[in-house]
Amino acid sequence: MIEVEDISKTYTRGEHGIVQALKSVSFRIAPGEFAAIRGASGSGKSTLLNILGCLDLPTAGSYRLDGEDVARYSDKQLARLRNAKIGFIFQSFNLLPRTTALENVEVPMVYGQGAVDRKRALGALDRVGLGGRASHFASELSGGEQQRVAVARALINSPALILADEPTGNLDLNAGREVMGLLSDLNHEGRTVLLVTHDDAVAAYASREILLRDGGVISDQTRVADMVEGVR
Amino acid sequence: MKPAKLLFQALRSLRRYRLRTSLMMLGIVVGIASLAVLSSVGEATKRETMQRFKNMLGTFDAIIIRPGGGRTRGMPTLVNVPPTLRFDDATAIATELPEIKAIAEVQNAFDIDVKYRDRNSAPAIFGVSPNWLTLRSEEVADGAFFDADQNASLARVAVIGPDVRNQMFGGEDPLGKTIRIADVPFEVIGLLKSRGAGPAGASLDNVVLIPINTASRRLFNRDFLTMLIAQVKNPERSSEATAAVAGLLRRRHRIQPPALDDFTITNPSATMAQVSRAGSTLTKILTGVSIMALLIGGIVIMGLMSIAVSERRKEIGVRRSVGAARPDVVLQFLFEAVFVSLAGGIAGVIIGWGGMQLVTRLQKLPPILIWQPFAAAIVLSLAVGVVFGLYPAWRASRVDPIQALRS
Repeated sequence: MIEVEDISKTYTRGEHGIVQALKSVSFRIAPGEFAAIRGASGSGKSTLLNILGCLDLPTAGSYRLDGEDVARYSDKQLARLRNAKIGFIFQSFNLLPRTTALENVEVPMVYGQGAVDRKRALGALDRVGLGGRASHFASELSGGEQQRVAVARALINSPALILADEPTGNLDLNAGREVMGLLSDLNHEGRTVLLVTHDDAVAAYASREILLRDGGVISDQTRVADMVEGVR
Repeated sequence: MKPAKLLFQALRSLRRYRLRTSLMMLGIVVGIASLAVLSSVGEATKRETMQRFKNMLGTFDAIIIRPGGGRTRGMPTLVNVPPTLRFDDATAIATELPEIKAIAEVQNAFDIDVKYRDRNSAPAIFGVSPNWLTLRSEEVADGAFFDADQNASLARVAVIGPDVRNQMFGGEDPLGKTIRIADVPFEVIGLLKSRGAGPAGASLDNVVLIPINTASRRLFNRDFLTMLIAQVKNPERSSEATAAVAGLLRRRHRIQPPALDDFTITNPSATMAQVSRAGSTLTKILTGVSIMALLIGGIVIMGLMSIAVSERRKEIGVRRSVGAARPDVVLQFLFEAVFVSLAGGIAGVIIGWGGMQLVTRLQKLPPILIWQPFAAAIVLSLAVGVVFGLYPAWRASRVDPIQALRS
């Protein structure tokens, strides 16, 4: 699903010179995997997630997503990939303000092929248990509910890859568990889920843990399946 | 397909931010409404002015010759003109110049008492040639005009304007009645058709016309004229006819250079062209002012949209993350600007049309139906939306989704 080879990313930050956010990072993630990327802030995990999410391009190295080498993709091609293959979930939910839950879920369909299918959007909301809140505005929903709307939005175009950036960071324990339960379900359906977190309990949902420090991978461990069951 | 979906998203955003949408619209509404009102009022004023000049001058294929050089103030009358323009001048112009088809002699005066029984009034008295009606393209509403025989025999007959009829006869039929002009009795034989108002807005109907010879010998006792109206053969060459008349009169009056003319010739078609130009200038100025207002409306849209782009960075980031390419973002914001501007334009046209009706009524202009300024206003508002929406839309597409989503 994801093949990353020798990826580097450098930023030019005004007079402070060059900041190297990623230093030749390499790993592969197979289809259907549930992986967590961990690391302290500044370790480069957000930069990595942006590159994996096709929002950013690496300075060097190659990134193949589902067999497509995206390193030299145009803005339009990257947008098409994000629309069809990737579902984003953010720490701060990022729902559109003054917009109903249903309309939020419909947004990815605007940029895809075909018409905006309201029934499909309602189905996605049902799926996350919010079918009854379709006409509520984001501001009328609790944090957990907002994040579930965001999950529905992420899966509306049936992407193969779900990218979640600290999905429980702004949620209480129960709401966090609900959201993580949804992500596990999506993984069990065969979708690849990639998670960025520094919470052990959240990382424990994943079967693999990639640890970053100073822009490089320092460990990459796959857990045994029954261990995961035990933590849960 | 996709543009339709983006348009729908644009309309949703406009509905979401109602206050901003109405503020953006306001500038365009004001601009377009003033454009519609002012340009059509300008046009209506021009048409009305042209009409009044036409009322006063009669036909455009006639030139008017007045005694006295330089500019004369107001209407010439027997008491304020020099006695230089003579009957034989008229005969000479008519017989010697091939450019001239016909000529009418005129003597006129104001402040002459006209009486019918116990009623009196003071209309303008015009002694005119019998060909007056044809030369001025005027008509008689009732009765008849005097003919050459009546002029030659110094008949005491009069044709009166509608105002005079109204003032002195009321509902009575004036034909066959005797009026006394400065105590000389005249028989009313005809009633003129109304000519409406002149350039200054005064009525042109308060007149009494009598044969020129009768006027000269029985009423005024003057052998000079206040005006000659010469019909030219070829109206397109009226300036050459004007020059020919001037040359003949200078010869007859023995005027040598550098002495100036002792007469003034007015060429109505030239005057009309001048009036028309002045009217067009007025329309242009008014239109210019409104276009300024419209531009300000466009700048308001641009400003508010730019602020909106900053405020909606997160939305833009989300849209980009779920698959919006830069052109999709441009299109959505452009649709928002164009829709606002077009809707404002349509509202402005409706308000402007109402305003125009009001102004024409208050200014007593004739009701007119001019659609061009309104069509132009719609097209213009569309253009303003595109022009002033492009920059904020472009800025929206340059928002970095990574930065926007992090904040």
